[in-house]
Amino acid sequence: MNSVNRRSFIQALAAVGSASILTVPTARASATSKARVVVVGGGFGGAAAAKYIKLMDNAIDVTLVEPNATYTACPLSNEVISGHRTLESLQTRYGGLTARGINIVQRWVTAVDPVKKVVTLTGGATLSYDALVMAPGIDFTWGSVEGYTLAASEQMPHAYKAGPQTLLLQKQVMAMKDGEVCIIAPPPKPFRCPPGPYERAAQIAHYLQHHGKGKSKILILDPNDSFSKKGLFEQAWKTLYPGMIEWIPGKDDGKVVRVNPATHTCYTTFGEHKGSVINIIPAHTAGKIARDAGLANAQGWCEVQPMTMESTMHKDIYPVGDACIAGELPVYDMPKSAHMAVTQAKVAAGAIVAKINGLPNPEPYYVNTCYSLAAPDYGFSVVHVYKVEANKFIYVKDAGGISPIKTPPITRRLEAEYANGWFNNIMADAFV
Amino acid sequence: MKKAIGRACALTLCLVGGAMVAPAMAADPIEALAATCNNCHGLNGVSVGASMPSIGGQSEAYLRMLMLEWKSGARYSATMGRLLKGYSDEQIAALAKYFAAKPWVPSEQRAPDQVVFNGRLVSDRCTTCHGERGGQPSDSATPRLNGQWAMYLEMELNKYRDDAVNLPHRKMRKNAQKLEQAEVYEVSNFMAVQKGQ
Ligand SMILES: Cc1cc2nc3c(=O)[nH]c(=O)nc-3n(C[C@H](O)[C@H](O)[C@H](O)COP(=O)(O)OP(=O)(O)OC[C@H]3O[C@@H](n4cnc5c(N)ncnc54)[C@H](O)[C@@H]3O)c2cc1C
Ligand code: HEC
Ligand code: HEC
Repeated sequence: MNSVNRRSFIQALAAVGSASILTVPTARASATSKARVVVVGGGFGGAAAAKYIKLMDNAIDVTLVEPNATYTACPLSNEVISGHRTLESLQTRYGGLTARGINIVQRWVTAVDPVKKVVTLTGGATLSYDALVMAPGIDFTWGSVEGYTLAASEQMPHAYKAGPQTLLLQKQVMAMKDGEVCIIAPPPKPFRCPPGPYERAAQIAHYLQHHGKGKSKILILDPNDSFSKKGLFEQAWKTLYPGMIEWIPGKDDGKVVRVNPATHTCYTTFGEHKGSVINIIPAHTAGKIARDAGLANAQGWCEVQPMTMESTMHKDIYPVGDACIAGELPVYDMPKSAHMAVTQAKVAAGAIVAKINGLPNPEPYYVNTCYSLAAPDYGFSVVHVYKVEANKFIYVKDAGGISPIKTPPITRRLEAEYANGWFNNIMADAFV
Repeated sequence: MKKAIGRACALTLCLVGGAMVAPAMAADPIEALAATCNNCHGLNGVSVGASMPSIGGQSEAYLRMLMLEWKSGARYSATMGRLLKGYSDEQIAALAKYFAAKPWVPSEQRAPDQVVFNGRLVSDRCTTCHGERGGQPSDSATPRLNGQWAMYLEMELNKYRDDAVNLPHRKMRKNAQKLEQAEVYEVSNFMAVQKGQ
């Protein structure tokens, strides 16, 4: 069953063909377009915003600026580490968006002038906009763990931006000998994909268990005192990988403050831990361009207006996806997920199209689902529903929530499959 | 790249150009609500993930019944129940109407001839309610099966066969439980490859 589900996204895309990607901005739509929207970043958030604006109003000129020709999605990338997926199965190009009439410009945005409403690209060209969608994702705070630099990440991969880093961690895990230790150090909250590090622990355990390395251990050194879907993860770890995964919370000296890549050592405030594989995930902030544009708060995140996703700092700029912070921290903030990025993008798209056309702002809807895979046939999820009341994001407590702890075994099997089906649909929802 | 590109279009200039057509999708509030389903079920309810069902083009009564049963907890679900607790009954009714009005689009799928042949034989037990090829339901409480994802159909049949989960439709449970495990696979694939009704 798995293989069909894991393949079909690529098959679905094949139908779209390979429309050419523009590398130079064109003004071709200028004679007929009503307005120009520029989108910074072609991840889930930016791609979905571009698509939905065009879908809602074809007469708006939409230009998406993204430096990479191929996007590698992070969701399910933990399955690459365990060998259940290829990195290619997570990749897409931008032909689907080009076919919808969206201009793709393969550049970095290097500056934003929110007053003149102009962005500058690498090479110096500029694009003016009537509305700007800001979706650069996250950047790592190098040095948030002392000694953890860009260079150190070549020895101690973060694997938290899918791509070569994912393959590096996979390679290191595969080279582990039975009985050796793998350390995972999650970042402090808030970070993208709150269940990600804990799903990763399960995926690595699955690999080790099935490759004659069942005496190995995974040690999670966590600066936080709790984590997403904790009960479900602990149940899964115990059921599937008894004795293999240990979690040390911040309050028990779990926080890694310093690393020494040369000696494979992580230092906590009072102790030290050695591992043959060390996965350090540094602290995050909104992508640099969002901070440079003056959109971020003191913690480095973009705050938004709930009705529209418009920035609280600058008019006509709409931050979406991982770069934003919304809702009540630390428990009821909106998770930084692909699902949420696409959801926010739709709200922003609706608001932008309505504003350009002089229509009333549509009612915003915010829902999120994150599936996690503890094994190829063992999945569970968390659902979030938010309402906007008095211009605030309110987490709806009597909806959503996690998969039940007590449930017939079929539920975990079904949700594992749903995770794969979700992935194909969300990729298409954003990129096709 | 040569030089700065100016503002693509001054808003006023476009307005002078003639009647500006208000985009229908932005104007209709149901579109924004329905877009929250696309992440998992695809645009217009046409899924491209084999474990997620297509929902566009199923009958309004069926869609509404399922969603209300999930919301109340009367019907087992892995994910949908938790999600729908965040939607009002009116929103659910509007969504059922919206997706029922979309065309039913059978997904592009293949299966080995022998499997389809066997599945055809099994399907004799299904036709009174689902139609010859799964696409002509006998009433509005019965779903279309033609061109639905084989994997999803198989997962659904396995749910009806599992006594531990609560699915209220007794007849469909009984029908599913009479199938051999191999027949579940065969009939699912037979239904899945049907392009017509
Ligand atoms: C291991 C892991 C597992 C995950 N699992 C899930 C999951 O199961 N479900 C889920 O919903 N989410 C999951 N996520 C989270 C998900 O990947 C992110 O939430 C999502 O990618 C956010 O989308 P985004 O568009 O905000 O940012 P991104 O996807 O990071 O995209 C940002 C884009 O902006 C571009 N960019 C940056 N700066 C510039 C600039 N100056 N100019 C132009 N372009 C720029 C980048 O090149 C990039 O392509 C996971 C993440 C990880 C790491
Ligand atoms: C996070 C993914 C997700 C989202 C978002 C989602 N669904 Fe579902 N849907 C599922 C899953 C999983 C199932 C299978 C039932 C279950 O939950 O166990 C399903 C099943 C269904 C079915 C049953 C189809 C059939 O014939 O059996 C309908 C109808 C449906 N969903 C409607 C909707 C509507 C309407 C929305 C938007 C409000 C929506 N769904 C949003 C995941 C999702
Ligand atoms: C007596 C009428 C009847 C017969 C006979 C019947 N079904 Fe059904 N079937 C239904 C109804 C009604 C439903 C919706 C039930 C519900 O609400 O759970 C259904 C639901 C289903 C579903 C779930 C589809 C979805 O979208 O979730 C599948 C799969 C299915 N039937 C397959 C079959 C197969 C295969 C057979 C023959 C072996 C069969 N049915 C025989 C009436 C019937």
